[in-house]
Amino acid sequence: MTDPTPHHDGAATAGARPAEVEIRDLTVVYRTEHGDLPAVSHASLDLRAGEITGLVGESGSGKSTLALSLLNAVPAPGRITTGSVEVAGVGDVTRLTGRRLRRTRGSALGYVFQASQNSLNPLKTVGKQLLDLGRSHEVEDLRGLVRRAGDLCERMGLDADRVLDSYQHELSGGMRQRIGIVLALVLNAEVLVLDEPTTALDMISQAAVLDIVRSVHRENGLATLVVTHDMGVVSEIADRLAVMYGGRIVEHGPAGELLRRPSHPYTRALIGATARIVGDPGLARALPGQPPDLTTLARRGCVFRDRCPLAMPVCEESDPALSEWTPGRFRACHAEPAPADRAAAVPAPRTQDDPIGGRP
Amino acid sequence: MTVTFPSAPALPRRSRTLRVLTRRPGRVVGLGIIVLFALMAAFGPLLYPGTIAVDPEAVYAPPSAEHWLGTDFAGSDVLQEVVVGARYVLLTAAVAALAAAAVGTLVGLVAGFRRGLADSGLMRLTDFVLTLPGLPLLIVLSTLWSFHSAFQMGLVLGATGWGGVARAVRAQTLSLRERGFLEAARGLGLSQRHILLRELLPNIAPYVAMNLLLSVIGFIGAEVALFFLGVVPFSSENWGVMLNQAVFSGGVMSSPEALTYLLAPLACILLITLGIVLFMDAVDELFNPRLRERS
Amino acid sequence: MIEARNITRTYTGRGAFTGTRTVHALRGVDFTLPRGGAVSFIGESGCGKTTLGKVLTGLETFDEGELLVDGTDLAKLSARRRAPYFRRIQMIHQDPYSALNPTRDVGQILGDPLRMRARETGATRAQQRERAAELLELVGLRPAVLAKYPHQLSGGQRQRVVVARALTVDPEALVADESVSMIDVSMRLGILSLLRDLRERLGISLLFITHDVATARYLGEGGELHVIYRGQVIERGPTDTVVQRPVHPYTQCLLSAIPVLRGLEEPGPDRLVPLAALDERAATPGCLFAPRCPFATAECAAGRPALTALPADDAHRHACLHPRARRVVATEAAAVR
Repeated sequence: MTDPTPHHDGAATAGARPAEVEIRDLTVVYRTEHGDLPAVSHASLDLRAGEITGLVGESGSGKSTLALSLLNAVPAPGRITTGSVEVAGVGDVTRLTGRRLRRTRGSALGYVFQASQNSLNPLKTVGKQLLDLGRSHEVEDLRGLVRRAGDLCERMGLDADRVLDSYQHELSGGMRQRIGIVLALVLNAEVLVLDEPTTALDMISQAAVLDIVRSVHRENGLATLVVTHDMGVVSEIADRLAVMYGGRIVEHGPAGELLRRPSHPYTRALIGATARIVGDPGLARALPGQPPDLTTLARRGCVFRDRCPLAMPVCEESDPALSEWTPGRFRACHAEPAPADRAAAVPAPRTQDDPIGGRP
Repeated sequence: MTVTFPSAPALPRRSRTLRVLTRRPGRVVGLGIIVLFALMAAFGPLLYPGTIAVDPEAVYAPPSAEHWLGTDFAGSDVLQEVVVGARYVLLTAAVAALAAAAVGTLVGLVAGFRRGLADSGLMRLTDFVLTLPGLPLLIVLSTLWSFHSAFQMGLVLGATGWGGVARAVRAQTLSLRERGFLEAARGLGLSQRHILLRELLPNIAPYVAMNLLLSVIGFIGAEVALFFLGVVPFSSENWGVMLNQAVFSGGVMSSPEALTYLLAPLACILLITLGIVLFMDAVDELFNPRLRERS
Repeated sequence: MIEARNITRTYTGRGAFTGTRTVHALRGVDFTLPRGGAVSFIGESGCGKTTLGKVLTGLETFDEGELLVDGTDLAKLSARRRAPYFRRIQMIHQDPYSALNPTRDVGQILGDPLRMRARETGATRAQQRERAAELLELVGLRPAVLAKYPHQLSGGQRQRVVVARALTVDPEALVADESVSMIDVSMRLGILSLLRDLRERLGISLLFITHDVATARYLGEGGELHVIYRGQVIERGPTDTVVQRPVHPYTQCLLSAIPVLRGLEEPGPDRLVPLAALDERAATPGCLFAPRCPFATAECAAGRPALTALPADDAHRHACLHPRARRVVATEAAAVR
């Protein structure tokens, strides 16, 4: 890896730097026949320039919905009901509509979609799609645009001329992922959002893509958000980590510290349930139960309590709010944060692994 | 993220089916129309026993209380003709559609599942059937055969019309073949019969059912056209014969009196087409347990 | 016991303009899977892993080599005689969403193979039902699942049903092809530990095919790890040895690609930079990996090295002209230790 040390000092000085994106108290609701189901509840998160934020969660945790609200592009029947997403130089994205919203997407916020390996138009060359992108954003200097795309391609280890003349099917999964990043950044976006950038890639392509994300991020001084289900992916590149569960951000803090001393029982259990390359594999413990979806989510109290080894009566009653417990670290849990020792902190629940009873 | 909906409590199969059928008003209307015509074909002729009455006093009578849809050139009641004529038309179309669906599904399933030699052979046969010009063939056949029985006519229509179904089923089978559950069934050593009938067939059933419904419309059109053109000897009362006579004997083009005589069978064909199209929307849900339980 | 000797599979594709193109999916793969043992195959996509799984479960044929089940060479048997042997090796598919027939409920999914077995064993209906409930319990599901359709189950539950279905025919080996990559992260370890349990408690051997070395290590404890590159095994040995002291540069690249859990782990001191993309078409007379290898010399392009044992350790074999141990895998962070 080119430089395997992430900028942990970024976390220390974070408070001083203005946030590129400020998400405040964001709630996204899916309107269905069964009533309004909250996919994201009161989420607050800052993305700062020069910092990679990792957003980790399982399917159904609301992480992709949260990321899409940065573009104000939550798919129907979803709707942003409360909160704001302030993007520097643009304003509150949730209030933008029509043309202004469209121009913001792409030019201020670069978004690399989930499965972007398949999000290229199969009937057009990459170059043509680049020009389409430029025209729809009313770029005057299309030559300059192509030149910049070429630069980005070269920086990612792609042969620019070949790639721009290629159709989607002529490129491998890893290459398409890189082109997704090129297209997201070619309009000089300062915020880069990557939704599951390495899913469906094997380890070697994943490592290459992560390496590229890291170097592009650093060279352009971006504020980057990486959305993923894979702890390994974020811990490899992220400076800060936010863990989502059941639509809530349950823990948030500097990546290394959060991994070393997870304070929320979900984070702790998730790390404990990871098959790792070091240590005794026999120590890994599966999480009991299964992740909730919108319909099985607890309406009252803590959303994790059914699977939580530390659940208390109060967890039935009230939903813990995300609050700062040590400088720079946030958690949403009623239980006292565990002492610093990780080994002692990993719980060892071993009930029936995957009971069917979780669903009504 | 994907939004998953809660599954409804398990209902008995019959009431689940009922719920699917009544979920949208269009489906109820469609089903109603289909049932109405089915009843008409089954019991219509029983309402009017004997041959159709001829009343020379009332030729081309306009609609009245006695003759709801007026009368034709011979003074016969148009409503009676429509009702009696439904049996031949609908029976023919149903037999043709069922035959085409059965042959097409079998050929497609076996070709797609066995691949190799069986596939090549069956697909050449399918190509041959697809290239048969249907209408001219029927015209030629009608010189050898008098299509007295709706059954015979249906079989002939069906025998020329299964190529498309076979193609579609084969394509589906080929894509399902690579799915994990079929590989697992082969790996478990389940019998080929089981795999074809229990694993594959239910998964292609919605396609077959939709094809079947659509082909009913096609076959009605085809046989009515044959009779309308007059290339098949008029051997029975049916809508095609009515159309033919309205145009060629009744002179509907010049005299407006024959209009109801022309419009009645046309309206029936349109109505049944509408009924099938409206109902088709329920087919996918009927066969797919996932869609079936989504309320 | 399952033994594979020199299994080779070559596909010949014929394009209208490109002429014939051969893809060597498997080039002489050898392994022995003892009863209750574990063998893992790791490699990137396009390395022939999936073909190997299909060959072992009888879904694909092979051109050369021997596949012995308890000493019987399956290549020499007719298709009919072969089937019962292949039934003893069951596949656990990668995608639990397509591995179950959406039109059949779990009771039918388990009942079909049980009924088929009953024709041989003479089990009654009641015994079959009992066995189905027993199997569900074994994989950690409640009997209520029997009445459910696959879409009513979560990914983790489906994969458990897939495992239960494989167990209906009392297999002696399970072939797991990336069996957890499509399951929610918090559910993965549950499935992996289920497979571990089956190996421990029922003596079912495991052949695990993956690109994720960490899960291979979890499942393959005490077993063998084979690293496969473009159809050829380029390094093999006891799992821990290969992970901790890999000597082939490709293995080292693969292990370097494993993300490091910062804070808990430190990157290995010799960690290598990510590799460029694989070009499957590149033909080379020499070492298959030479075109991408960071340490390749002129020698490497000339001759293809065969699998040879390290002088110090007969079980640890490699196919490299310049083997050198490098510490690329992460180590536990000092703060944690």
